[in-house]
Amino acid sequence: MDLIQGTLELLILGTVAQGPIHGYGIAQRILLVSREALQVRQGSLYPALHRLERKRLIKAEWRQSDSGPMAKYYALTAAGRKQLQEETAEWRRYAGAVALVLQV
Amino acid sequence: MRKRAEADLEREIAHHLHELTAAYERQGYSPDEARRLAARTFGKATHIKEEVRDEWWSTWLHSVWQDIVFGARVLGKTPVVTLAVVLSLALGIGANTAILSLMDTVLWRDLPVPSPKQLTLVQWQSHGSPIGLMDYQAGDFADSVNGINIADYFSYRTFQAIRDGVAGRASVAAFTLADGVSLSYHGHPTVAPERPVSGEFFTVLQVHARLGRLFTPDDDRAGAPATVVLSHRFWDRELGANPAVVGQPLLINNAPYIIIGVTEPGFGGLNPGDASAIYVPLHHAEWMDPVPGALTNDRFWGIEMVARRASGVTDAQIQPVMSTLYRATWSGQVKTPGTEPSIRLEPGSRGLSFLWSDFQHPLLVIGGLAALLLGLACANIMGLLLARAVARQREIAMRLALGCSRARLMRQLMTESALLALSGGAVSVAVGYATANLLGRFVDPSFQPIAASLDWRILGAAGATTGLAVLAFGLFPAWRAAKIKDTARHTGRTGRLLIVGQMGLSVVLVLAAVIFTRNLLALRSVDPGFDQRNLIIFGMRPSTSGYAPQRLLPFYLTVEQRLASTPGVAAVGIGSRRPLSNYNWGAARVQLAGSPDSLVAQYDHVTPGFLPLFSPILAGRVFTWAEVGSGAKVAVISEDLARRLGGRSVLGHTLDFDNGLHGRTSTSLTIIGIVRSMARTSLIDWQPTLWLPMDTTDVRPEVTVAIRTTHAPYAVVPAIRRAMGKIDPDLPLVDLVTMDEQIQSGLERERMFATLCNGFGILALLLSVVGLYGVMAYQTSRRRGEIGIRLALGAVPRAVAVMVLRDGVKLVVVGVLAGLPVVWLGARYAEKELTHMKALEPLSLSLATGILLAAALAAIGIPALRASKIQPMEMLRRD
Repeated sequence: MDLIQGTLELLILGTVAQGPIHGYGIAQRILLVSREALQVRQGSLYPALHRLERKRLIKAEWRQSDSGPMAKYYALTAAGRKQLQEETAEWRRYAGAVALVLQV
Repeated sequence: MRKRAEADLEREIAHHLHELTAAYERQGYSPDEARRLAARTFGKATHIKEEVRDEWWSTWLHSVWQDIVFGARVLGKTPVVTLAVVLSLALGIGANTAILSLMDTVLWRDLPVPSPKQLTLVQWQSHGSPIGLMDYQAGDFADSVNGINIADYFSYRTFQAIRDGVAGRASVAAFTLADGVSLSYHGHPTVAPERPVSGEFFTVLQVHARLGRLFTPDDDRAGAPATVVLSHRFWDRELGANPAVVGQPLLINNAPYIIIGVTEPGFGGLNPGDASAIYVPLHHAEWMDPVPGALTNDRFWGIEMVARRASGVTDAQIQPVMSTLYRATWSGQVKTPGTEPSIRLEPGSRGLSFLWSDFQHPLLVIGGLAALLLGLACANIMGLLLARAVARQREIAMRLALGCSRARLMRQLMTESALLALSGGAVSVAVGYATANLLGRFVDPSFQPIAASLDWRILGAAGATTGLAVLAFGLFPAWRAAKIKDTARHTGRTGRLLIVGQMGLSVVLVLAAVIFTRNLLALRSVDPGFDQRNLIIFGMRPSTSGYAPQRLLPFYLTVEQRLASTPGVAAVGIGSRRPLSNYNWGAARVQLAGSPDSLVAQYDHVTPGFLPLFSPILAGRVFTWAEVGSGAKVAVISEDLARRLGGRSVLGHTLDFDNGLHGRTSTSLTIIGIVRSMARTSLIDWQPTLWLPMDTTDVRPEVTVAIRTTHAPYAVVPAIRRAMGKIDPDLPLVDLVTMDEQIQSGLERERMFATLCNGFGILALLLSVVGLYGVMAYQTSRRRGEIGIRLALGAVPRAVAVMVLRDGVKLVVVGVLAGLPVVWLGARYAEKELTHMKALEPLSLSLATGILLAAALAAIGIPALRASKIQPMEMLRRD
């Protein structure tokens, strides 16, 4: 399944919103919840991550990971939280509309 | 920065792969297999990295674009401030660049010849005028301050002696003043300046031929064929750059010369603006005045010299040698002991010093004013940006609070400043071009307009400096945002200081505008001593268009009679010199017979019709044609000459007249009439004058026909042209103008000064008013609380307005006072350019300060009025 343009960003924001997390962690969590949507090419997560970082929707910090080595942890910024809220609402409206149409 | 990001990305990906591998290993794959699977699941790392890098770039570009769009929007929100800053920048940079470029061209740049520093101008200097050495002189002469005369003309024999005497140590060439001649190339007639030069001229200057060849000493000998070299400009503009001109004949004053070559395009003559169109050898020059044997008469001093020193030779080594050679060639004794001239060497790398020294002072005055304007513009920009910075404090604080990093904010503000600087810079190029073109005409109209090309180095330097200032002040808010407390007071103080500075500079610029305008107005209203309306003048050169001397007087008579019978013409006269043309006339020493005192007077040769056309005859009469024909020894004198000689009773007396042209003997003339005095070479030049009957041996080639018309002069011009065409269709009419136009053209420099200074003055006013308004409005808005309390406590609104006004006026007055020392210094310097006016007149001073105060009051008035209308309750509630 191809991720709809922009959906990946929303997924990342949503994942990061639950607390600081590194790239691998994000990939695993998206994998878990979206049923292997990211299975091919987990690396394609990174352009989106860096785009969000440059837009200052998320910020990054290097710290010790649970498994030992240093890892880059991402967290939401204030602007990111606002963006997530708006996009989630937008997504809900959109999904609701689609569902409504399909149920008819 | 970039390197760290790369390393981070590398580590980030490595971490991901490491975790992925570990996960596969936990699922039971062998380490090798786990690594392979991890690599497949992750995707090709190099591709991923590439994509991330692309992302960096595009987000960076995107954010820069965002900054630009945002910046433009911010600037657009305050259009007045933005426009004021951009215009200040543009005018400041543009005008200064143009003026500096012109100054560079005229004053500082070396002649475009190889090794210009080797060139030396040969001049002589003496304490007081050396009388007795020469009968005739043509060249430049300067009285310097401490009584030392400097001149640049010598006899031809002196040139020969010096040239031969210093051979090996320096090569010397000669030339004379350039003068207009009639030219005709295959029936295409024109008038252009000719410069006679010695055969060594082009060799010494190391100028090469674009076409054909230039002179050698063999061309400049008695008996050599008459040859001419064309300047590249003349060849290009007048002859259409025709490559076939070499070997063709050119008629100069009706005598045939063979064109032997064209100079290279880079060579523009002996100084910037040198209008010399053609060069002829000294031995084939038409001398301006028919002095018998100009090259063999040792008492004719009209040869100028330029030398090129051999390498390693200094001026100090050749100067004494030249002085000795010079003295050996004098003919006669110096009658005034102690005034013996000696050789003086002047650096020649920039060309003829007399010419550029003429422009140095006015250019420095204009340049100084432009620099003041730039200072004012800078102060204004600082003030405006400062005010804007304060206004934006809240916005910036909010953005910082919202998590905007300081670096990001700096970049945003920098983008705004760069936008400002760039638009200012772009407009400044346009302003620079316009000003350079305007200034190119600044020089004397008789010279070739100086093409002051914009110097990109100067433009770049000016732009960079001002751009830096803009950036610095644009970043001010970001820098200040760090410590918001207690900055308002600082800003207030800086703003007030800037206002004082602006007012000080403005008073100088406004005063300059007032002074130069008054000077021009005063000059315009000067009575030339005759009625300048309905008067037409034009030149003609019959003597160089084939009229033998004996045919000239009958020709003049025909012209006078035919033109006089033309409808619309009231009176006609012919004189040997063009009035009000800024050219010096002939000067002679006159002495009432039997009187011990002599004095210098100017003289002119005229036909009987000439004088009645200009001034009323106060006593006696003017000449008759019979007297002109017989060469009667009679003279008409001006009222002021009569006064100097002893009043109107001198009528009928004999006057000894010596113009130095007839050996050393004087002519005795009977004074037959006295006419009212009139302006001569220019409106401000009134000198004792005498008029002699038109003469055919002692005249310049060009004579001037003056026509008094009965109605608007231009309606009569076609009839005049037709009448002249019937008399001689081949005789060109030179510079046909009305007397009004002639006078106007003589005021070119004064008008230029007035125009430029007015422009500067108006800009200064505008800038300072905008600045003042900005600061005052800001200050009152900051004091709203205080004013509200005052009003609540019972202050009268008018008192509040007065308080604000007083505050502003105090700033203005302090500023004006601060400007006064500059005014005083500048006035003494600018005085030289004022022909009709003292620099520091009470009227000018009060006018300037009055204008400035009125403008300032308008600028302070609005904030003051607004302050008095503050509603105290509303104010108190808001705080």
